[in-house]
Amino acid sequence: MKEAKTRSKNELLPGTLEMLILKTLSIESMHGYGIAQHIQMLSADVLTIEEGSLYPALQRMLVKGWVLAAWRVSANNRRARFYTLTAAGKKQLGVEESRFSQMFGAIMRVMKTT
Amino acid sequence: MGSVLRRVLFFFRRNQFDRDLEDELRFHEEMKAHALADADGMSGDEARAAARRRMGNPLRLREQSREPWSFVTVETVAQDVGHALRLMRRDPAFTFTVLATLALGIGLNTAIFSVAYGVLWRPLPYPNSDRLVIIPTAQQTEKGIRTFWTWPPSSYEALWPRVTTLEHLAAYNSIDAQLTGRGEPLQLAALEVSPNFFATLGVTPARGRAFLTGAAAPDDDRSAIVSDRLWRTSLNADPAVVGQSITIDGLPRTVVGVLPPDFSFRPVVRIGALPEAEIFVPSRWLGDTRMNASLFLLGRMKPGVTLERAEAELTALVNDPSISPAGALDTAGTIARNVHIVARPVGLQEYGTESARRLLLILLGAVSFVLLIACVNVANLQMARLSARRGELSVRMALGAGRRRLVRQLLTEAVVLSLLGASLGVMLAQIAIYVTLPLVPPFALPRLGGIVIDGRVMVFCLGLSLVSTLLIGLVPALRVSGAAFGESLALHAGEARTTGDRQGERLRTLLVAGQIAITLVLLIGAGLLIHSFVRLTSVSPGFELSGRDGVVQTVKVALPERLYDEPERIHAFARGVLDRIQYLPGVTSASLVNSAPFGMPFIRDEFGIEGQPKPTLDVGQPKIDANYFKTMGIPLLAGREFTAQDTAAAPKVAIVSERIARDYFPGGPGKALGRRVRLGDRDQWRTVVGVVADIRQMGLEGDVQPMLYVPFQQERSGFVRFVAFVARTAAPASVAEGIRAEIRRAAPDLPIEITVTMDEAVAASVAQPRFRTLLLALFAIAATLIAACGLYGLMAYAVTQRRREIGVRMALGATRRDVLRLVLTRALRIVVVGVIVGLAGAAGVTRVLQRFLFGVTPTDPIAFTIVTLLLMAVGLIAAWLPARRATRIDPSAALRAE
Repeated sequence: MKEAKTRSKNELLPGTLEMLILKTLSIESMHGYGIAQHIQMLSADVLTIEEGSLYPALQRMLVKGWVLAAWRVSANNRRARFYTLTAAGKKQLGVEESRFSQMFGAIMRVMKTT
Repeated sequence: MGSVLRRVLFFFRRNQFDRDLEDELRFHEEMKAHALADADGMSGDEARAAARRRMGNPLRLREQSREPWSFVTVETVAQDVGHALRLMRRDPAFTFTVLATLALGIGLNTAIFSVAYGVLWRPLPYPNSDRLVIIPTAQQTEKGIRTFWTWPPSSYEALWPRVTTLEHLAAYNSIDAQLTGRGEPLQLAALEVSPNFFATLGVTPARGRAFLTGAAAPDDDRSAIVSDRLWRTSLNADPAVVGQSITIDGLPRTVVGVLPPDFSFRPVVRIGALPEAEIFVPSRWLGDTRMNASLFLLGRMKPGVTLERAEAELTALVNDPSISPAGALDTAGTIARNVHIVARPVGLQEYGTESARRLLLILLGAVSFVLLIACVNVANLQMARLSARRGELSVRMALGAGRRRLVRQLLTEAVVLSLLGASLGVMLAQIAIYVTLPLVPPFALPRLGGIVIDGRVMVFCLGLSLVSTLLIGLVPALRVSGAAFGESLALHAGEARTTGDRQGERLRTLLVAGQIAITLVLLIGAGLLIHSFVRLTSVSPGFELSGRDGVVQTVKVALPERLYDEPERIHAFARGVLDRIQYLPGVTSASLVNSAPFGMPFIRDEFGIEGQPKPTLDVGQPKIDANYFKTMGIPLLAGREFTAQDTAAAPKVAIVSERIARDYFPGGPGKALGRRVRLGDRDQWRTVVGVVADIRQMGLEGDVQPMLYVPFQQERSGFVRFVAFVARTAAPASVAEGIRAEIRRAAPDLPIEITVTMDEAVAASVAQPRFRTLLLALFAIAATLIAACGLYGLMAYAVTQRRREIGVRMALGATRRDVLRLVLTRALRIVVVGVIVGLAGAAGVTRVLQRFLFGVTPTDPIAFTIVTLLLMAVGLIAAWLPARRATRIDPSAALRAE
């Protein structure tokens, strides 16, 4: 099999997906579909989260202990797997945010220079 | 660390994970379908199909989701292995070199380890064998510390009832036994054992029973237990053998037991291991006052008893005068003054392996050096290839392979190579053992039967391949993971030489220099042994080997005490055979001796000189017949040989060797003639009628032995248990057959023990040094070849890398000589660094060989010089080939190519 690296047109900067998920979960616990919807909605459909990125990312975060997963009943009365932010996850969100804003600022400074 | 724990837990809940993931994805799909149906007004089925399409390959999705949990996924390992195998196929020359090098290194190590394990560490085939001990005594006297391995029967009798730290204490005595009446008469290794011998070992016979102990023991005195091998070969594996009678040493004995097939007991004596005992007969040595009943004591310690505790108790007991061993008792029966006795038990496992242990550890060290050199070579090859593979690796990196992934790839390649090399190595080891074990000189290694390639040896071999994996994979892997390498890939991809490259080359240069250093240590070790062996074999034994009249053929027989109990019978037998041998066709002269040099038991004892204080020198006391010196080719310095007239009735005579004459009758050999000497204290005075040259009796490495020869016919003490007929002949084979025929005619039941020429006996005496010299030399040669390949590889690579530079130099007017010098100087610098380090290392290490050296010191300048020059020559040759290639570089082509 070939190395599997699927990337969409609207490719996120590396590491940003995790930050977005963390941010989303910091509002409330959510299932995978909900997370994807939430990000897509808030970004006005600019950022579409593909399942092929979303679920591996969630698993990575489970491994790292940033989130917990539990089966609960969803709003439409279905059984769904909800992800909850842990303390480590909250801390990580802070790290990611500051790194992102640093990076963002740097890029903007470069772009503004004429 | 939490993540590791979570992953481990995950491993045990894989099924749950799969179910969860499936449910989760199904939920996702349904939600998506629902959304699509709402937005685009699709029907339920259409929406579901669309959702599924958009979610892509569900299998892939599941794989990707599982990946974060695993340490390394099966998929990537399979990928890496496949890639490694493809690379190996694509470059057969590289693969062959690497596999051959590794197989050689691992194979040699496995072979030597299997020998060392079998001889030194494999548990003995007795239950709780770690509690079995052999008990010697050591005595501190004014002559120094002497260790006695054997005890008189009286000490054993007195000791056994009083020992509390031992569960059992058995005694055994190694004897020769003659089995007659079952085909050819056989001379077999046998043990006289105390009845509790098998109980001490914890062994029960496979058929029949062990010897009776306690009150029943005396009823059992005419019994015997035989080995499984003897039962199969000579007793036709008869299942009803128990209860049958066999004839041992002319006496009928009842077979009461047959030992299990895996039973093995090799008695060990000072000169090495004896053959495995085939017959066991009970003996209680009650009231036995024979001098020759020297018993080895075999104890089984009680559970929980340490060697120290047993030693403390035994030492206390042996210092009790009623128990003390023979050597410590003076004539009054008390312990001599100033004698301190220690009874220090030695584990049966270690017992008798001291000299083998040292040799095997040295060999093991030598072969691990070889493996080290081999691994360095492979690592070097890998690094050279790494530079060549820069293109491939940078593409992989550009495609998103992380550094970790690349490192893993390189390590996988190393694992594949090591494991393949190890499997080839095991085969090689198997062949090596199969071929060389029969060549191992007898007595050299105890417990040869324990040498097999089994599970433990395989584990060792796997361990080796792990080590070699690390050695050959880690260095290149570290290079890849180093920052410089990544930059070199990314930024300097087009240029021929980069910083990272130069670093790598420096590392490789160091490795090659290290290889040369290690090789030199091995070569010097081999050189020392070879020089020592040359010294040893140029020593004259003192008698003539192959001479004008041919060689000396000896045929030795043992005379069992029960059949030959009177001197008259021995003399009649010996005289009768000798008279006929003299007239065999092809015999120039013939004689006989009770202890032929090189291979027969040899007793040194006190002697006396009339009118002089008792000499402090102990001398050999061979009993010989007429024409002995003429037959053996020992020069007669003064006086005459014994003749047929020196009979028991004639005046007592003796012949002394040069050393005695020089020390006690100064003024030339003739001064000894006519003086009177005697054996020990109670012998009659004998007139010295001749003086002969000294000879070496036991081996070439010892000193010449002072000898006091007496005529065989005048020997009355009945201690002649062996007779060797010796004949000088140009046709040894037919004469040997003739002598054997004569012995068989005179005594049909007498087994003939040894038939060798003196040349063979002397050669056999140096078989051990020859064997170890050969082994170490082979290892050193292997190491040299590998190191030469390493240097060649490095220089060849350097020349390729510096094509352009060399081209420029040549374009600017450098001659071929200059280029040659350029490359060779570089190579020589590496060699010299390696040699200096190697010499320093060798000077420190060769001390371990001290014990195996004869006539050379561990820092023997000759060996050091010759070997160093040799290695430098090999190094120059290895560098010469690439250097010559460098001179053939066409400057214009080299410059255009870039």
